[in-house]
Amino acid sequence: MGTISLEHSDRLYWLGRYTERFFTTLKALGNLYDSMLEEKHGYQDYLDCFGLADTYSDSREFIRSFLFDMQNPNSAAYSLERAYDNGIVLREEISTSSLSFLQMAKDTLSKARQSDNIRMSLLPLEDTLYSFWGCINEHIFDDEIRNIIYIGKTVERLDLYIRLKYPFAQVEKEFIRLCKNLNRVPKGTPYRYSTKYLSTLVEILGTESNYQNESLQATAALAHLFEPAEVSL
Amino acid sequence: MVQFQERQFMQAVGNAGEINELLRRYGVKFGIYKNGVFHEQFFPFDPIPRVISAVDFASIEKGLVQRVNALNEFLFDIYHEKHIVHDGVIPEDFIYISKGYLAECEGITPKNKIYSHISGIDLVQAKDGEWYILEDNLRIPSGASYPLIARELTRIAAPQAFKENKIVDNRGYAELLKETMEYANCGGIRAILTPGRYNAAYFEHSYLAELTGSVLVQNDELFVEDNILYHRTYSGGKTRIGVLYRRISDEYLDPLTFLPESLIGIPNLMEAYRSGNVGIVNAPGNGVADDKGIYYFVPKMIKYYLGEEPILKNAPTYLPFYEEDRQYVMDKLEKLVIKDVSEAGGYGVVFGSDLTKDKLEGFRKTIAAEPRRFIAQEVIDFLDLPIVDNGETVMRKADLRAFVLSGEKTKVWASGLTRFSRNPDSFVVNSSQGGGFKDTWVLSR
Amino acid sequence: MKRVDLYFSTKLTFDDYVHNHSFALRVIPPETECQNLLSCSLNIQPYVRTDQTIDAFGNNVTAGYLSGEHRFLDFEIKGTAEVDQTKFRTDYMPCYLYQSQYTKPGVSLNAFYSEVKGKCAGSPSERAEALCNALSDVMCYEKGATDITTTAEQAFVLKKGVCQDFSHILISLLRMDGIAARYIAGLAFCDGETHSWVEFWTGDHWEGIDPANNCPVNNDYIVISQGRDFRDCAIDRGVMFGKYTRQLQLVRSILT
Repeated sequence: MGTISLEHSDRLYWLGRYTERFFTTLKALGNLYDSMLEEKHGYQDYLDCFGLADTYSDSREFIRSFLFDMQNPNSAAYSLERAYDNGIVLREEISTSSLSFLQMAKDTLSKARQSDNIRMSLLPLEDTLYSFWGCINEHIFDDEIRNIIYIGKTVERLDLYIRLKYPFAQVEKEFIRLCKNLNRVPKGTPYRYSTKYLSTLVEILGTESNYQNESLQATAALAHLFEPAEVSL
Repeated sequence: MVQFQERQFMQAVGNAGEINELLRRYGVKFGIYKNGVFHEQFFPFDPIPRVISAVDFASIEKGLVQRVNALNEFLFDIYHEKHIVHDGVIPEDFIYISKGYLAECEGITPKNKIYSHISGIDLVQAKDGEWYILEDNLRIPSGASYPLIARELTRIAAPQAFKENKIVDNRGYAELLKETMEYANCGGIRAILTPGRYNAAYFEHSYLAELTGSVLVQNDELFVEDNILYHRTYSGGKTRIGVLYRRISDEYLDPLTFLPESLIGIPNLMEAYRSGNVGIVNAPGNGVADDKGIYYFVPKMIKYYLGEEPILKNAPTYLPFYEEDRQYVMDKLEKLVIKDVSEAGGYGVVFGSDLTKDKLEGFRKTIAAEPRRFIAQEVIDFLDLPIVDNGETVMRKADLRAFVLSGEKTKVWASGLTRFSRNPDSFVVNSSQGGGFKDTWVLSR
Repeated sequence: MKRVDLYFSTKLTFDDYVHNHSFALRVIPPETECQNLLSCSLNIQPYVRTDQTIDAFGNNVTAGYLSGEHRFLDFEIKGTAEVDQTKFRTDYMPCYLYQSQYTKPGVSLNAFYSEVKGKCAGSPSERAEALCNALSDVMCYEKGATDITTTAEQAFVLKKGVCQDFSHILISLLRMDGIAARYIAGLAFCDGETHSWVEFWTGDHWEGIDPANNCPVNNDYIVISQGRDFRDCAIDRGVMFGKYTRQLQLVRSILT
């Protein structure tokens, strides 16, 4: 095939970002739910990470909103819907099989809403998402196309890990992964990073103390790394 | 024959749930606007296949090849010398008043003189077993992707049905389409042009792009420079397109030739096409041949161009344009089905039997005022097909859209889209009007 | 036979920079039985590669694509031609017998035709002359009352218009009368802009008639393009991208 438009390259990038946002959100909410079994109102820590106000009457309402509420732009359901929106216009690049896993994830998520044990019924999502990534790997022959999705995925993961204050070792690993992906981008394409912001990131994520103190600057630099406009719907 | 169908039906029904589950999973959808809001609907699939015997199919196949060949000859003739008009076979009015006739296409000769590369011919089977042509679709007939993916899935869900019966594999459609596109290719990559995700047939556009290894494009990714059509790549480069399977209608194709207000077209595409630098599948201007008014003349075309007797019959049709037909139509209006030649997608079809006396009278006046606008047909006694409705088997009206692909040879896809009406009283099977679909099995013996 | 020099220029100025600009110009006069181009040059600014094709109606089409930012598009043609209206053009197309987008009659044009058709008799030339006279009696030449989107019916209701409107109305009447007619865009003497007139089919050739001046066409007319109506003859059509794509068009033409 070997020809890809700007619009599609943006879609690939955002497919990577939203799929990862969905998955990391899901896992973070799972961990939170687990820790809330003993502690009450632990969910405020989660809201603080994103600078969001607490408008929820209890943890149950919070969890349901962040899992299922399509009107909540920070919810898992919202991210998955956006991932699907981007994926559906990329069928010939990512394959019908890859796309089918996003559809399955949507179906599983909406079924889980009715379940008595939400966490239990969300478990198959993990299989589905890993299958999606396996399928992406398997079906996309063009390394350039695959790399754009992976850049989106890694940028998103790094952003969320920093916001959610994950341990330095984990963040550092994801940053190295991102640098590897960036090195594969051919010159003259939109996912060629800005060297200025990359060096800011290198500096902040270079030592643990900088990471602890300057996480806000790190997420800002990450946001400016390519500055591709999100494709509007 | 009937026994056979019952048996298939039992086998397939056992797996109906699984097939529908799979169809959902693969996102077999079509878009629809209701009250101005876009919805994506799963295309209702019925697990009982339509079965066509090898003998029946052989005759349908011959008839369709003959018909499409004649229609392609007709299109070449109309946009060049117009012998069929000069020889008095078709009155001039029927050509030039047709909305599908595009004077802008005069004198253009597409590569290999093929105008209709992908033809969707709608047929019905009458109770006596005879097949009738209902309509030709030579512009952008859609629907091939649905039986294609349904087959892929039913083979998984109901393997025994495919083991016990000799059913021709229909999954060669992608290869057939690719071959057809390549035959029209003027040098470059293959591309499928879609108006976008919110088009009713978007699933089909993207699925066919995937299966044929074509690039799925929208107009803003394309431009014409030096009379050549290019795809604008994300790195700022350009890739030449040799053949464009466009899924947008003629009038929107090129704002510098057709509708200036078109926002989904490609400026100067027609200049590149006229210069022979890009193939357009199907050719612009084909609407003149699938006009409901021209339909009447297709059997005459077959005799005129091929010197053969038509193998497949038209439904008995009357043109109020002709004095003697008009009298018959006026007298028998309550028994006929009237079609407005300017409407498509199942709209503009009126059954005389549904009209009150006053409405019939009003309709007679409309026909008298604009006789060219209508055709009238005898209502064919359709062979109803069984469908599963809430676990019950019920009989419903159904038609068959056969796909004929014209490349180096004209070939009929050994399958097709069987659409049925879910409403027991309706003859209208279009998906946009709530119809569903079935797989179509052609037996190899 | 007459030798004439022709000059025609258009300046398109945009309110802001535009890019990815595709255009199709119909400005190079066709070679016909009645006009022989001794020389003709087309000059376009900014520099752009162009391609020539001939469209379905026999017009020369110059197509081009300007991808970079620009604020104007200017083009001019200069040439010399020999005109001889005693020769006959015979490039007939059946579509000219049928009403088109701009000429489709409405209530008032239909009524007017019923009124005047009694006076139409004889050969196509005699009928065309009668229709042109009838039209001149009721229509008033006035600039600014209509624009390039005005149809024959709309202009006829106003009873005002410019050459384009006169041509559309006459074409509409001729077609109602069963005479094939086409729209001509071109240059004529005593006119600082482009002019338009009508050709009707006599049965074996085209004959020119100028409804805005109610006179036959002579060697003082040069054809630039022809078609069913104005839509097929637009001097320039373009699609471009930019924040503001509003444009100002200045046209100048000289025939000497």
